Amino acid sequence: MSHETVIELQNVGVSYTRRAGLMRGQKFWALHDVSFDLHQGETLGVVGHNGAGKSTLLRLLAGIMAPDRGEVISRTDRVSLLSLQAGFVPHLTGRENAILSGILMGLSRKEVLARMQDIIEFSELGEFIDEAVRTYSSGMRARLGFAVAFQADPDVLLVDEILGVGDAGFREKSALAMKQKIASDKTVVIVTHNPETIIDLCNRIVWIHNGVTHAIGEPRELLRQYQESFRHGGPRGVRLGEPKQVGIV
Amino acid sequence: MIPKKYVELIWYKALAELKAEAARAYIGFLWWVLEPLLYMSAFYIAFGTGLRRGGVPFLAFLLTGLVPWKWFASTVTNGSNAIQANSALIQQVYIPKYVLPWIVVVVNTIKFSIILGLLIILLSFSGHAAGITWLALPVVIAIQFMVIISIASFFAALVPLFPELKLIVDNGIIVLMFLSGIFFKIDALPPRLAAFLRINPMVEVIESYRDIFLNNAWPEWAGLMWCIILSLVLYTVAGAILRKYDRFYVKLMIG
Repeated sequence: MSHETVIELQNVGVSYTRRAGLMRGQKFWALHDVSFDLHQGETLGVVGHNGAGKSTLLRLLAGIMAPDRGEVISRTDRVSLLSLQAGFVPHLTGRENAILSGILMGLSRKEVLARMQDIIEFSELGEFIDEAVRTYSSGMRARLGFAVAFQADPDVLLVDEILGVGDAGFREKSALAMKQKIASDKTVVIVTHNPETIIDLCNRIVWIHNGVTHAIGEPRELLRQYQESFRHGGPRGVRLGEPKQVGIV
Repeated sequence: MIPKKYVELIWYKALAELKAEAARAYIGFLWWVLEPLLYMSAFYIAFGTGLRRGGVPFLAFLLTGLVPWKWFASTVTNGSNAIQANSALIQQVYIPKYVLPWIVVVVNTIKFSIILGLLIILLSFSGHAAGITWLALPVVIAIQFMVIISIASFFAALVPLFPELKLIVDNGIIVLMFLSGIFFKIDALPPRLAAFLRINPMVEVIESYRDIFLNNAWPEWAGLMWCIILSLVLYTVAGAILRKYDRFYVKLMIG
């Protein structure tokens, strides 16, 4: 693992505005001040209480949204959020949806076609791949969604909680495949609440608290401190993670 | 220029939407023919027989105006909503936002080409044979395409920022329908009013189709030049707004 920086966040803040009439809105800062570097090949875990701004952080890294202050410096444009069933259209066939979803995740049509056999095999859909997705069970849909997302191979993969999908057998298989991919030398940012995932997969973790980088460091030690924090008031007492309302615009 | 990967996205997404639309109804893509046919008959009944009693010449006059108008009106109406309509998608993956109105325009252009084909068949049956000036048809279609993509992109860029604008667009389209010279010749109006109404590029576009189809004449190039200039300006402005707010629109949908 090299220490080349792929994405750099410098004092990044993101606010959302809730519209409250013409030209008026309430501003909420979901992230106040977050800074860290993401290194080539590492798996970086993100932890934080509910509402700490973790999802916003992933969207920022994915380039889906821009920060309102600070800077995101990215050295690759192939960053994407693992999103299952992105852009699925129920009336199209599984194959057509795989192509569409693959293109949306940054593959070319040719690249999706080249991976189609793997997608069909992984999703275990067999001949159903040419049936309309509307006729699929939710398990089949989840399998196809996962198989496509798994094939879209960005330079930096952003994952919001690794959860196996589909029925029991597939759930295990998909979670395992995901873990293998993360364990390889791919650059991954993963948001998770699962301590085992952190210990098994992450090289470093970032702890976000109230929209601020509270700490960055070695997983085992930081995880212990993080879990400790739940005992002092934790999310059930004071609602630590609630985005602060800082003013009216 | 649009990078190749986004051209591919626009094209494949447009085809996917057309296929999905066809698969949704029992008679599928027949609706693309039936719907405008019903729409046009309604206007023909109202204006051709009821109010005016124009007969075949009026029918040809009306249809050569209505067919291009329908392409314009449905595309601008849907296109101005393009970013909101994809709000779930743009929260999941990054797509440059200018791509979204393009998809709507491509979908509607494919539907329009079917109707235009029908119109040409219909016109040839009513004695309007193809002449040399029909060579200008692709040019007029291309210019109308420019008008449509620029106006659709312009409103697509602004509507998420000012949601009320959508109502203005929808109602504006209805008003404009009666001021685009579909039902009467613009030049039948007082000259100063006519000159004012010609700011609307669809007036020139519709007259150009009529020159070609009905009069076997070349279109008025000066008027079409105005359409091109207006389109380029609007598309440039739209592009600048879409680029500026490219990664900001999504926040309006979450907040």
